[in-house]
Amino acid sequence: MKLTVNGRPREIEGAPLTTLLHVLREELGVTSPKAGCEQGGCGACTVLVDGEPQRACLTPVGAIDGSEVTTVEGLGAPESLSALQQAFTHHYAAQCGFCTSGMLMAAEAYIARGGTDDREAIQEALAGHVCRCTGYVKIIDAVAAAARGDAFDLTVTAAGTAMTNLGGVS
Amino acid sequence: MTQATEVLLPTSADEAVALFGDGSGVTIVAGGTIVLPEITHGRIAPTRALMLSGAGLDTLDAGGSTVTIGAALPVARLAELAQDVEALAQCALGVADYEIRRQGTVGGNVCAGAGRDAPRGDLQGPLLALDASARSIGPDGETTEPVADFLGHRAGRLLLDLSFEKPAASAFAAIEYPHTHEYTVLAVTGVRTAGGEVRLAATGLADHGTRLPSAEAAAGDPDAAGAAAVADVKLGDDALASAWYRERTLPVLVRRVLSKLEEAR
Amino acid sequence: MKAVGARLPRYDGIEHVTGRTTYVDDVRVPGMLWVKALRSPVHSAAMSGLDTTKAEAMPGVHAVVTHADVPLLEYGHLSALGIPADEPLLAKDEVRYKGQPIALVAAEDEETALAAVDAITVDFEERTPLLDVRRAFDDDAPTVHQWGNWYTHFEGEMDRRQIRKGSIDDAFEQADVIVQGVYRPAAIEHVPLETQVALVVPEANGRLTIYSCTQALYFSMGVVAAHLQVPLNKLKVVGGTVGGGFGGKVDTATETMCALLAQKSGRPVKWRWTREEEFLCSSTRAPWHMEIADAVTKDGWILGRKMLTLHDSGAYARFSPYGLTKHSFHHTGAYTIPNLSFDGFVVFTNRVPTTAMRGFGVTSVSFATETHMSRIADVLGLDPYEVRLKNANRVGDTSPNRIVYTDPSTVSVVKALAGGMDVELATEYAAMTRDPREGDLLPAHLVGQLGNPEDH
Repeated sequence: MKLTVNGRPREIEGAPLTTLLHVLREELGVTSPKAGCEQGGCGACTVLVDGEPQRACLTPVGAIDGSEVTTVEGLGAPESLSALQQAFTHHYAAQCGFCTSGMLMAAEAYIARGGTDDREAIQEALAGHVCRCTGYVKIIDAVAAAARGDAFDLTVTAAGTAMTNLGGVS
Repeated sequence: MTQATEVLLPTSADEAVALFGDGSGVTIVAGGTIVLPEITHGRIAPTRALMLSGAGLDTLDAGGSTVTIGAALPVARLAELAQDVEALAQCALGVADYEIRRQGTVGGNVCAGAGRDAPRGDLQGPLLALDASARSIGPDGETTEPVADFLGHRAGRLLLDLSFEKPAASAFAAIEYPHTHEYTVLAVTGVRTAGGEVRLAATGLADHGTRLPSAEAAAGDPDAAGAAAVADVKLGDDALASAWYRERTLPVLVRRVLSKLEEAR
Repeated sequence: MKAVGARLPRYDGIEHVTGRTTYVDDVRVPGMLWVKALRSPVHSAAMSGLDTTKAEAMPGVHAVVTHADVPLLEYGHLSALGIPADEPLLAKDEVRYKGQPIALVAAEDEETALAAVDAITVDFEERTPLLDVRRAFDDDAPTVHQWGNWYTHFEGEMDRRQIRKGSIDDAFEQADVIVQGVYRPAAIEHVPLETQVALVVPEANGRLTIYSCTQALYFSMGVVAAHLQVPLNKLKVVGGTVGGGFGGKVDTATETMCALLAQKSGRPVKWRWTREEEFLCSSTRAPWHMEIADAVTKDGWILGRKMLTLHDSGAYARFSPYGLTKHSFHHTGAYTIPNLSFDGFVVFTNRVPTTAMRGFGVTSVSFATETHMSRIADVLGLDPYEVRLKNANRVGDTSPNRIVYTDPSTVSVVKALAGGMDVELATEYAAMTRDPREGDLLPAHLVGQLGNPEDH
């Protein structure tokens, strides 16, 4: 079986019923999708399959042979963070970070299909994602900011990250 | 388990039917939202897995007065029936969350066995109220029967599609526990056919959804219908709610649905 | 202070949003084995005939451990605080809670590990379980712990945390009304997104490298060293990246067992709990049973409080004596009550042992005391803000254990709450401050009960 993962073509050796989560984490070393429950209930394993957000723990690889899979690693690297990743960093949308990969992929797809900064619409889009640390408010703030196209002044170097205050943002 | 399983990947409905055979020893994998966790946690070990993702059973035909839904249609696509069957679209929107609705199928939802801790098969309610016909394959070959009969022996069958006549009006009322994704504790669907007949069905019960014949007989009087509905159902305690609670809320949902149907005249 | 008011990035912020944070389950070591556990299917039973031979012989299985493999089977988590050991790492001749680990298997893959667990045989003779704290005191309750049904080692020899202050009998005699309430918050599961997980690697130099999700790295290191009877310098613990803990990752639930499997198999082993194990078998915040009887006057003064607390420790003590101790100091809440009689018990039941969760021991008593203040207002027909403001801690008031308050915030917080709820306080109450009591705010029953803030 073949998958394109974050732009790279990969040969898959796992049996067709193996979950995409297992293939990504154990076979391909792509560890951003997490095994939070392995039942589809927490959202931490969410990746994009042909642009659509999907639970990797519920997806048998045999069902997606030939598809394009995008994970957090494909959104942006530290020196080239996407607008959404910058928004999450600026708004402190991650504490322990375990739910963050799933949240980012769901938010990425939401914005790609025209999602706005309407908080109820964001909540509905992210309804399948559990976070136990943040209380969700900052995650919604971050997605709304990215949907609006807010700009951030975030510099990442080997020495660390520098953030500046943006007027009017608390 | 996953290593030893023979995986069948039909590329057409006919091939799926042929590979299913009489169903013995076959585990159906449609969207995978119910079956994959069972495999992952070692509760089932399929010997032959029939994966339906490429079999073309995800059709939706709503052009004429009859709607036909392919069993592998993702639940999310029922939103396309919002104009024709509001209750079915509304019920679908309450199933799980955005991702699960796109991955899970109508067939998987309808055929789900009784949940261990909470009810499954929300879509059974609207389909029962619509008196949908279920076309399926089993040990006896292909059968088309009312979905109420299909539910009685759904295990071990391959559901192909569900058909029903578009109703004059439909209504849906549910008690849900708000969560990141909602769990439907109890739900009632009402349908008024073009001929004026009123049908009611409930889900959130023990085992599977059922019609509410006593409530239907009293449909002209919502209070009486609500009270009568309790006799039609078998209620249980589970992780979401007690039978006691469901017994008191079922009449409320019946009354709401009947009043919405009345408003839609 | 350059940090105050500045917008600082989280040190792990960039890693989180690029998927580079390495949690224990993300660590990849060649030759890693998967672990699964045999757990007690019943609440309480005598156990015999534990036989792991079939499991050990299965192809792909590299090690099985039971109680017989543990150099020191029982080690007290808080022995440094005087709490003696009571819990075996793995069950030996009985099980005391559903989910209690009995044996562990390390195998080539998850499926083989699960099959091996199924191949372990053991016999249970079930006993009547005790599942409610209040029942523990009934004459016909089963005895569930070697110390009896409640902890008996406070200060070495006491069976309760006890606080006595003033004269509760006088208070009850002088009261116009006794207001009673019973409060029973249920257990709460932490539900961290990352389940319990540990990876232990046996190094060529004889040391063990332990990748752990623990919240308490040095503490867990000590627990592992004690059970294994090895010096600390034999262990290297890699930790600090926790996918949510909230108090639930302080019990060192996986590290020791993985260390034993790593030693026995000579291979790296990883044990990652399923979400079901996390819900059913991991420790939770404890259920509590609290009974409060307050001696109050018609005009809302609380003369005295008599309180009984039963803390459900589950099958073993773990940190519960410490949690109850904290609870006891706070049993008057944010209010000043001069006459006190508090008794708190750490009670054993056949439930999963309980542990810390944010505000360990104190969230329960805060819930009970605040609800009780409103109950008092309700019974007396008084305003709930006024009852609180009257009895609020002020400078010079003393706590249950005679700490003199120098900086109490009750008054300002209650007034802020009223403001936030658009409640207009009566002038006299709106004017209240935390200044030392005098005049109407120093009733007879508080005269002589106050301390000197200078003496703190």
